[in-house]
Amino acid sequence: MRPGAEPKDGDIVRAVLAGERERYAVLVERYRDRYARYAARMLGSADAAEDAVQDAFVRAFDQLAQCKEPDNFVGWFFLILRNRCFAERRRSRAEAPLEAADSVAAADRTDGGAETAERRRALQLALMELTPDQREVFVLKHVEGLSYGQIAERLSTSIPSLKMRMHRAYDRLREQLRDHT
Amino acid sequence: MSERDFHPLVKQLLDGELTIADLPAELRAEGEEALRLLTGVDRSPVELPAVTQRVMQTLASRPAPAVPAWKRVMRPREIRLRIRPWVLAPALAIAAALILLIWPATPARPAPLVTVRFVLVAPDAREVSLAGTFNQWDAHATPLVRSGSTGVWTATLTLPAGQHQYAFVVDGARWVPDPGAPAVDDGFGRRNSVLTL
Amino acid sequence: MLTLLALPLTLLGLQQGMAQRLAGRVSPTVAALVEQLGTTGAARGLPIDPLIQKAIEGSAKSIPDDRVAAAVRLVATQLDTAATALREGGPVSDTLAIAAGAFAINAGLSGSDITALARVGASPQALTVGLRVAGTLAALGVPRAENIGLVSTTLRSGQPAESLLLLPAHVQSAMANGSTPAAAAAGLSRAAAAQARHGPPPGRGQPPPHPAPPPHP
Repeated sequence: MRPGAEPKDGDIVRAVLAGERERYAVLVERYRDRYARYAARMLGSADAAEDAVQDAFVRAFDQLAQCKEPDNFVGWFFLILRNRCFAERRRSRAEAPLEAADSVAAADRTDGGAETAERRRALQLALMELTPDQREVFVLKHVEGLSYGQIAERLSTSIPSLKMRMHRAYDRLREQLRDHT
Repeated sequence: MSERDFHPLVKQLLDGELTIADLPAELRAEGEEALRLLTGVDRSPVELPAVTQRVMQTLASRPAPAVPAWKRVMRPREIRLRIRPWVLAPALAIAAALILLIWPATPARPAPLVTVRFVLVAPDAREVSLAGTFNQWDAHATPLVRSGSTGVWTATLTLPAGQHQYAFVVDGARWVPDPGAPAVDDGFGRRNSVLTL
Repeated sequence: MLTLLALPLTLLGLQQGMAQRLAGRVSPTVAALVEQLGTTGAARGLPIDPLIQKAIEGSAKSIPDDRVAAAVRLVATQLDTAATALREGGPVSDTLAIAAGAFAINAGLSGSDITALARVGASPQALTVGLRVAGTLAALGVPRAENIGLVSTTLRSGQPAESLLLLPAHVQSAMANGSTPAAAAAGLSRAAAAQARHGPPPGRGQPPPHPAPPPHP
């Protein structure tokens, strides 16, 4: 390794497993914001996202010995975070819409106009009415900007089934937005 | 109900596979409604600076990651490593040269420890490690280091004199004997490499 | 280096040792088999390490239990064959030599090859190294006759163990230059025999000259 070169994920994972747990901070720092937006859109607020990302990193540490591809730590971490997001949704369904409205509105005070803020708030509320699977495919494609192919690879599923999910999501979102405007 | 559902072409518009210009005139209004829906998508990045400290504080008092007491046994997978033929001859020569180079000069008795360099040419590999009798066949214990872009992976170990068997583990799953070393049947349908020190 | 005759260990201590080495690394089924074979084998003076190593290896390679068990049983059989062959060649039965003999058998040599090497009458340490080298040469493809011939000649010449240990590298070198394994071994035999007749060449004790490192591919 050249001096000054960034250590690879795999090297850090192995170092942590060998006992150097402080080095785990490098992985946390490296990836904590990568899926923060995904978690925020899935859960409806940045606060919920913070809890989920934190929990996911702790879980990943506990199970680090089971990471089969240490050089693809981030892909494995995403799946842990995803599970955590799906679990969270089941726990706090009742509180989510209010939280979503407040936090989305707060975030948007700085950019766009009132109209943009209102549209964002409305869409986030509508998203929370979808099933987690529908919301996820929508977030990965339209927020994270992944292609269907990339999403299929990451979730180990097929493009046709993703499209079916997404198209149902579009219809439900339309219904939610019509009914609440 | 079809009134409330978007038309399939409008869904393709939402998927980014069509533009509004591709839609027939009667669907333009619905298409614009759909695109207005998408303007509500919030792509602003989310930053969570507090996470690092909170995670590390939680981990401070946490036990070390546990290796499972017993792994689930999986069906063994076929091992194939494409090695271009010209690679084998130099690897043999490298192996022979290295063993001669590192031999202790004037031992009154055999030296108890020998330093050995393991080399594998595997340009397509993402990671390579060494597993053998000297490290409990642990595929994670001894990673090789790749030198630059040539696809040459090396690791240097100091081993006790004696008989050792080993193999390389490529990309965490493919067990590959050392093309430059003598090989014996491992009893599982594969070959192990032999190191006699 | 002193060679130790296999001493009978207390049953409990032996089993505890095995259990500790296997814990977390092999399934309970395989562990039970290894402990059973190891205990009965140790009572007959056989080493247990090769059984443990094979079990750990199989589990690390994600091999199903029944095939790991078969491989462990095979090792036990090879240890038995090696021990029998060594007893026919001389009085010493050393666990390291038995393990080396089992390795040689796994590599393709026969019990009679083991006996032939034992009959040379070398020290137990040298015999152990000789058996390991013979197994390694077999793994390189050296035919049995040339193999045993080369190793016995080298053992008989009274050269130190290092000379034995260099034989596989010499054979590999010759093979890289186009020799067959048989021809390479035969050539080395002649050199060893000449050395035995005329004494060591000048500069003995220095490392042999090494070829220049080949250019990186």
